[in-house]
Amino acid sequence: MNYKRFVFYQGTVGMAASMIFPFYILLIKNVGTSYSQFGWAYGIFSLTAALSYPLIGKFTDKAGDKAFLLFYSWGMALILLAFPLAYEIWHVYLLQIIMGLLGAVQKNTEKTVLARYVTKTTAGEEIGNYHVWTSIGAATAVIATGYLVDFLTIGSIFYLASLIFAWSGFIIMKMEKNTSLYNVE
Amino acid sequence: MKRFFFIILYAILFGLSLQAFNFKLDHPIAEDISRLMPVKMKAIKAEDSEEAIKKVVLEAAKNDDHISIAGMQHSQGGQTLYPNGILLDMKQYDKILDLDVKEKRITVQSGATWAVLQEYINPYGLALKVSQSQNIFTIGGSLSVNVHGRDIRHHALIETVESFRLLNAKGQILTVSRKENSELFYSVIGGYGLFGVILDVTLQLTDDELYKIKTKSLHYDEYTSYFKRDVLQNDDVKMHLARISVAPDSYLDEMYVTDYYRANDQTQLSNYNTLKRETIIAVPKFFLGLSRYNDWGKKRFWETQETYTANIDGNLISRNNVMRSDSAFMDYSHPSKTEVLQEYFVPIDQFADYIDDLRKTLSDEKEFNLLNITIRYVEHNDESLMSYAKDDMFALVMLINQGTDNESKENTGRVIRNMINVTLDHNGSYYLPYYGYPTKTQLFEAYPRTDEFFRLKKKYDPDNRFMNLFYKEYHP
Repeated sequence: MNYKRFVFYQGTVGMAASMIFPFYILLIKNVGTSYSQFGWAYGIFSLTAALSYPLIGKFTDKAGDKAFLLFYSWGMALILLAFPLAYEIWHVYLLQIIMGLLGAVQKNTEKTVLARYVTKTTAGEEIGNYHVWTSIGAATAVIATGYLVDFLTIGSIFYLASLIFAWSGFIIMKMEKNTSLYNVE
Repeated sequence: MKRFFFIILYAILFGLSLQAFNFKLDHPIAEDISRLMPVKMKAIKAEDSEEAIKKVVLEAAKNDDHISIAGMQHSQGGQTLYPNGILLDMKQYDKILDLDVKEKRITVQSGATWAVLQEYINPYGLALKVSQSQNIFTIGGSLSVNVHGRDIRHHALIETVESFRLLNAKGQILTVSRKENSELFYSVIGGYGLFGVILDVTLQLTDDELYKIKTKSLHYDEYTSYFKRDVLQNDDVKMHLARISVAPDSYLDEMYVTDYYRANDQTQLSNYNTLKRETIIAVPKFFLGLSRYNDWGKKRFWETQETYTANIDGNLISRNNVMRSDSAFMDYSHPSKTEVLQEYFVPIDQFADYIDDLRKTLSDEKEFNLLNITIRYVEHNDESLMSYAKDDMFALVMLINQGTDNESKENTGRVIRNMINVTLDHNGSYYLPYYGYPTKTQLFEAYPRTDEFFRLKKKYDPDNRFMNLFYKEYHP
């Protein structure tokens, strides 16, 4: 039940993230006026991620995966409220630093949860299944957003994604009350 | 309880963000492409028929609006802009009306670009007499700044114009030529759109020819005598272009010239007269990019230019292809920098002394980022009231990289005013379509008939229907 919930959660956040992704690139490109700035915006993202992985790794083992998923969901929900307001390049750089950190949290925790859950002998099949559902979520989101932009502005898509992240935060909070994520086997 | 707290907090932040976003949407920041002179216009109107353009002018008269006329908007001095005015975009008024192959004469609407014209006349074996080295500009815009190019036998564009039709401030259409309304002929060409809308233009053409390229390196003090002896006096040379180094070591000393000789065997023209497209620009773009950064880059840029020039020695090229140089490699986008042009005209006999003085003036300007200088020739021509060719002149076109902040603008302005002073000391003049750095005094000295020009403007357009920042800044 709980693992299913985790997959559902990952599908939801994957959906929200895919929703904003194309517009997020557009925003970075529009705010910046040169390709070098575009490059820097992405470089900063990856660099922050690289620097934060060691810390995230250490703390997930102590604080538990759920705390980090919670941090990710609420972090994303809040940071997305700032995106539509960015109009200068340093705003984008700052957002990219935070996004880099949050992205690293999500990537790392996704893998630690899976690592703790799956049985070694059937890891391939289980992780394969996991990816099926999360990818379906992402694909649905991207296609649906393509239609949505005809009706909504780019700004409102950021707000919508923020709401979905906030909802995903509640999914995690609910999970906290019940049992652990770990496979009982 | 905790969840409740989260919901409240999130809802508050959501609301605040939405409010800020709404505020941002209501207060857009307007900026134009050059980013040196952002101007908010009242409206932008693109029209494709005489009637519609006339309507724009009459309506502006009724509402007492100012009109600025725009082609490709590559003039950098605000010639196409006036705050809260109406921008009349001519680019859609671009039909070719008539071509007389036997008389070598074409009539074309002023919003057409040289590129369109070239494609039209090339199959007939005809070519332009005068245009810029690049062909991306509109004919109306080129007339308004009275361009010149590489051709050394035909000079300023005004020479090749037979007549044009002008829509004046009252909404009347006048035919203007050297015989009819001649006062307007000499003031509209080189008149920066201040007298009315140029509707269509009749231009003389010439035959497309095959040229053989000859290139040569020399020093700046040999240039004038070389040019007189080997270029001007040799009737086979039809076009000419030179470059002078801005790289350290060879700074304002080393030059190379490219001469276009009429090829002996013209029957081969058919093998070369396909109009070339913009080639792959990665290499020049890369080296120009390097040269923006530092002296090392400038040296590499000069070296590649030299190698390239040496390589094209002996090549054959059609006249039409000479007149359609690449320009895309110069496109430049940077958050806080831009590139501006300057052009100075100096009598050919003064060239070496002038370069010495220019070098002296620029020696302490470490911040001044000069990227490139090309040199062309233009013969004495006083037809246009605002003629820059007061003598037989070399024309030096400079490409300058500068910041868009106020301090950089001031610094570039100061250096440019100094360079113009040096130019004026050598009886030269400067080209008007660029950013308004020069002073009023410098304008009146470079263009002795400026008074007369402004007087005619008042005579033909007393209500300032046609208006731009150039006029606002410089008229008495």
